[in-house]
Amino acid sequence: MSDKPQNTVLVGDDVHRQWSRFKYPQTLINYGILLSVLLFFSYSVHYLNIPLDRILGMFGRLGDVLANRYYPPDMEYIADKGYLNAIIETVQMAYLGALFGLMISIILGWFAAYNVSPSKTYIYPIARIFTMGCRSVHEMIWAILFVTILGFGLLPGVLALTMFSIGFAGKLIAEEIESIDMGEVEAIRAMGGNHLQIFVYGVFPQVRVAFTGIAIYTWDVAFRAATVVGFVGAGGMGWYLKRNVMQIETQRTAAILVSIVILVVISEFISAWARDRMSKAK
Amino acid sequence: MGTSTAPMTVDDVVRLRRKKHRLQFGFYLVLATLVLWSIQATIIEDTDWDRIGSLAEIGKSVSHFIGIDFKLIPSLLGPTIETFMIACIGTLLGLVICIPAIWFGALNVTPYKPVTYPVARIAMTLSRSIHEIVWALIFVSAVGLGAFAGILAIAARSLGFIAKMSAEAIENIDTKPVEAIRAMGGSNLQVMIYGILPQVLPVILGIVIFEWEINIRRSAILGLVGAGGLGLVFFRQMNTFNYPGVTTVILAIFGLILIGEVVSHYSRKAMI
Repeated sequence: MSDKPQNTVLVGDDVHRQWSRFKYPQTLINYGILLSVLLFFSYSVHYLNIPLDRILGMFGRLGDVLANRYYPPDMEYIADKGYLNAIIETVQMAYLGALFGLMISIILGWFAAYNVSPSKTYIYPIARIFTMGCRSVHEMIWAILFVTILGFGLLPGVLALTMFSIGFAGKLIAEEIESIDMGEVEAIRAMGGNHLQIFVYGVFPQVRVAFTGIAIYTWDVAFRAATVVGFVGAGGMGWYLKRNVMQIETQRTAAILVSIVILVVISEFISAWARDRMSKAK
Repeated sequence: MGTSTAPMTVDDVVRLRRKKHRLQFGFYLVLATLVLWSIQATIIEDTDWDRIGSLAEIGKSVSHFIGIDFKLIPSLLGPTIETFMIACIGTLLGLVICIPAIWFGALNVTPYKPVTYPVARIAMTLSRSIHEIVWALIFVSAVGLGAFAGILAIAARSLGFIAKMSAEAIENIDTKPVEAIRAMGGSNLQVMIYGILPQVLPVILGIVIFEWEINIRRSAILGLVGAGGLGLVFFRQMNTFNYPGVTTVILAIFGLILIGEVVSHYSRKAMI
């Protein structure tokens, strides 16, 4: 018996059955999926012409590029008055975009929540598709489209961030509304309340706290997006970034990147602090 | 019990409530002032309303976009596949470079807390705070134009999210299997492989699939800075003022994302 493998079970007299977690057809399917995923990855490395032999050397080169060309960031450049003004513009843009987006996405979230949607056959799918459309188009593409239609400036940036925030917050709010306690909604419906009254008195008080958290988070994410929408001409710091990248002013670019990272970290701290305070106040 | 627990009178309650209301009112006032100030600066002062023109003119510029450029469709297939592959390999590479970050960034398994934990946390914050366009710019200047720079940008950008969520998952595991293995004399590596990994693997896979879905969206725009894929086609259509072509590219992106969303939904369901 001692030379038998340990993962066998004695069945009957001398029949040893191999023990395994998955039964026969399931193992075949699992291996098949794993194999096809591996095949897909190796084929795509071939298809995209990725120089696998250069990957290791790349880190050295990347370090080289950063150390020689980007290293002393031109800090005087970002202390410039025009640039500080652009930072303020970026904050304003993110703030307004998040605000407009949230105002629209409360209504959209109400329409796109299956349990309280005013009309399940018409309004629900339309609101769902609209939210998904906003979410699947990247904020840069929104910015390009609005710049084409409205021209350069902060307004297209605000609108692009609005669409971005609708996509981001609309889904979260709809999910939050779908998980509420339906008892209060039924009570108001039984008293003869219409859809608006149900939303205002039955749904909104239940999601108010969660909604504040989503709002703070949306502002944080919108600010992160706002730092680059200027890249296509929608105002803010992105325009400075684009200009210096195009002129190969690498040290100024490095300084702008440093300022972006610092600002995003600050906004993240503010957002974490606000959400923390809010959950305590709850 | 000290003297501070004297029963509150009605006056105290009223005063506290008034104070709270005043605070809330001040908070809303600040918010409203900020809104007005931002509106004044961005929408009223900075916008060139003459350039935008009347509502009819806006409608006219929007109507340029209506329509589909059917001639473009055959040449979209290649970039679409490329975008999809950039997202897939980028996520995989992100997962690979994530492993040390997860190991260092989880408080209960980090090898040397005063050094490795802050290093991992800083790496996560850096990765999440720099936008994918900026990452792509950095990598394009390091490895040249093409899909490779896009893959690296996607990987660098996904590190933060995957590592942060996975480290949190590791911090919240059940410690009993870990203790059992340690009591049997298992080494740190064995604790990790047999005690921690089986518990967090499904969670990490779910996180990775979620990030993959977002990465499809990201890889579709990396072409704007020369990192290949659908973004390049989009940019070219935009620069040649072929607006129906722009709509076609957006629809292609939309279809790709729809596929990603469906695949992610079902694979996450199958795993649970």
